[in-house]
Amino acid sequence: MSTAPATVDGPLLTADGVPLKESLQISLRRSKMRALLLVLPPLLFLIFLFVIPIGNMLTRSVDDNLINDVLPNTFAAFETWDKKSEPTEAMFEAFYKDLRDADRTDIGKASVRMNYANPGWRSLIKRTARKIDKMEPPYKEAFLKADDRWLDQDFWRSLGIMKDRVTFGYYLNAVDLDYDYDKNIIQQDEERKVYNLLWWRTIKVSIIVTIACLLLAYPVSYLLATLPMRIANLLMICVLMPFWTSLLVRIVAWMIMLQQNGVVNDTLVAAGVLSDENRLSMMYNFNGTIIVMTQILLPFMILPIYSVMKTIPPSYMKAAQNLGATPTLAFIRVYMPQTIPGIGAGCILVFIVAIGYYITPELVGGKDGRLIGNMVAYHMQRSLNWGLAAAMGTILLCVILVFYWVYDKIIGIDNMKMG
Amino acid sequence: MKVLLKHTLLASVVAVTTAAQAEVNIVSWGGAYTASQQKAYQDTYKDPGSINFINYNGGLGEVRTQVESGNVTWDIVDVLPHEGRVGCDEGLFEELDRSRFAPAPDGTPMDDDIMVELPNDCVVPQIFWSYVPFYKAGTFKDAQPTTIADFFNVKKFPGKRGIHTWPNALIEMALLADGVAVKDVYKVMSTPEGIDRAFMMLDKIKDHAVFWSSGAKPLELVQSGEVSMALAYNGRIGAAILSEDAPFVTVWDGQVLEEEWLGMMKGAPNKEAAMDFLIHASTTQSQAEQAKYINYGPMRASAFEIIKKGEPWFHNGKNIMEHMPNRPEVMPRSVVASPEWWADYGDSVGERYTAWMGQ
Repeated sequence: MSTAPATVDGPLLTADGVPLKESLQISLRRSKMRALLLVLPPLLFLIFLFVIPIGNMLTRSVDDNLINDVLPNTFAAFETWDKKSEPTEAMFEAFYKDLRDADRTDIGKASVRMNYANPGWRSLIKRTARKIDKMEPPYKEAFLKADDRWLDQDFWRSLGIMKDRVTFGYYLNAVDLDYDYDKNIIQQDEERKVYNLLWWRTIKVSIIVTIACLLLAYPVSYLLATLPMRIANLLMICVLMPFWTSLLVRIVAWMIMLQQNGVVNDTLVAAGVLSDENRLSMMYNFNGTIIVMTQILLPFMILPIYSVMKTIPPSYMKAAQNLGATPTLAFIRVYMPQTIPGIGAGCILVFIVAIGYYITPELVGGKDGRLIGNMVAYHMQRSLNWGLAAAMGTILLCVILVFYWVYDKIIGIDNMKMG
Repeated sequence: MKVLLKHTLLASVVAVTTAAQAEVNIVSWGGAYTASQQKAYQDTYKDPGSINFINYNGGLGEVRTQVESGNVTWDIVDVLPHEGRVGCDEGLFEELDRSRFAPAPDGTPMDDDIMVELPNDCVVPQIFWSYVPFYKAGTFKDAQPTTIADFFNVKKFPGKRGIHTWPNALIEMALLADGVAVKDVYKVMSTPEGIDRAFMMLDKIKDHAVFWSSGAKPLELVQSGEVSMALAYNGRIGAAILSEDAPFVTVWDGQVLEEEWLGMMKGAPNKEAAMDFLIHASTTQSQAEQAKYINYGPMRASAFEIIKKGEPWFHNGKNIMEHMPNRPEVMPRSVVASPEWWADYGDSVGERYTAWMGQ
């Protein structure tokens, strides 16, 4: 509503006769459009590289649409079954109709999905689908002729796991749980439990690596920040050189150093510290993963801490000592609190990179240095169980968000300084 | 000047696009294997310049990504038995017109010339390779390992064992070592007790196991003495023996053979040229030619005839037949891996194996 002053008839007009309010809106809209255009490239970048893939990942981790689209009749018939007696002719007929009508590649994809619910589905469907064109009623006999496993009730009962279009089965699998045939949550078979162990190990490794990095990086950063420029620059190059070197080169270098017949062991044996039979296992195990990851992630800790230390005036320390503090006390009470933004940034950086790491563990981890990232890669590339990989990715994302939240609560995210 | 520049630019753009169009991208595993394919297939092809080899690490992840996003840049992919089947089932590979492939010299159609049953119409025969145990000569003083049971016997043959980080072939080998007959391996594996039995056998080497996940690793492990015996791809061992005179000894007992196929990507950008190359790569002659450069066994039976007659067939004048994993003498003690079994049980056994490694 226009609230023009009473002395003027009608609304305020600009020079070209357009009401002032309208004209103002037009120019505002224009500048808004311009602003939008300016942020458009990063916005599109964000949408295409973050929002869409992450959304895709989230949907994949719960999506069970395909199987319901391929086998609608079967699931309808399944609902009428008492799950105790022998599968009925109606169920076989429904299955026949679904297999006959569905696209061949969709059947292939569905059978892969079904195999997760009950191992064996894949070959069962494949063998049956091959004979589907020649089948005639009664379908029960025709199916049994194709493969006698069709009488095995486990296959039929496992349909109960897949009958809903949204499933949390992948999330359950990712934490060593499973659905039974009636969709109750149960523990995964004892000998198939892997993921919980890997989750804990991943978090453990990330925390140990973060702490190790912090302990190593703090004195180095302090030296970098306080030494004379000439020496500090040289030291800086020593920090950055490995950072610029290929990851694989550094990993291989560690292998040469640390393996059973490697440089370190050979030296220790030659020096008589170790006997030849008692060489240390420092590679292809948990230790190897920790050592190599710490070295690789160290610059991510040094750089933020250094950049914060650089801004702390040395006069503060002097002032503290002038006021009677011992050097140790001054360091702890005056210097260290000021470096917390750098420590926080470094820890968050190292932790987030470490928790999703998989190349180093793959190469030097051996059997007990493998992390959850390796399983995500395995399910993306090898087993093609993208649902499970997506569920694990989502859990990883949540773990990081939780740590981020805790960090914000304790230290405050505004305090973080990346450099 | 400006006009000239414009024309050269235009010409170069045209040249680049036509060159890109004519190129067939074939994706393979790299190393000596890709080199053998380049020499045997590409160099003998009528237009070698049109073939471009790319390396990958296996798996259908990238294939599925390309097909699902509709942005297909690869034409031909070199795949393992399991991937050859899943890829066809999921519609990631094209079904090919089988009548266009060249028959054997005696007229047998290609599909009947293949040493295993053809799984589907998508795949084109490549080679057989195997997981096989080996050791360095001089590692053991008195008795030398000769059977797969020796591999699992750390008392008689002390030292660590190099094994891979996935269960394929290990389950089969464990059962063979436990006395299961070759023909019964998959029957036993299809029962839960059979899997338990395999893992009980694996337990015997567990505390002595060093795990590898890349093919060059077991050779390093054995060469450096880190382990006394290891499982490896037969082609890697053969290459070290044939080309570098490495003192390795292969134990030709209880090996597990795997197939290797070529498949054409669904929606491949250069379908016709790719098909033409596939026909060339799968001829008896090409298959035999490949054995000059690597000791993987040709999948077409007729290629063996050419190799046997041509011995010494390897390019540096050595005999190759004794390094072929699918030569008739070793077949009675070899298991041909069943991709169907692994498609059904691979996930569950894989999880159990990972858990076993981590315990």
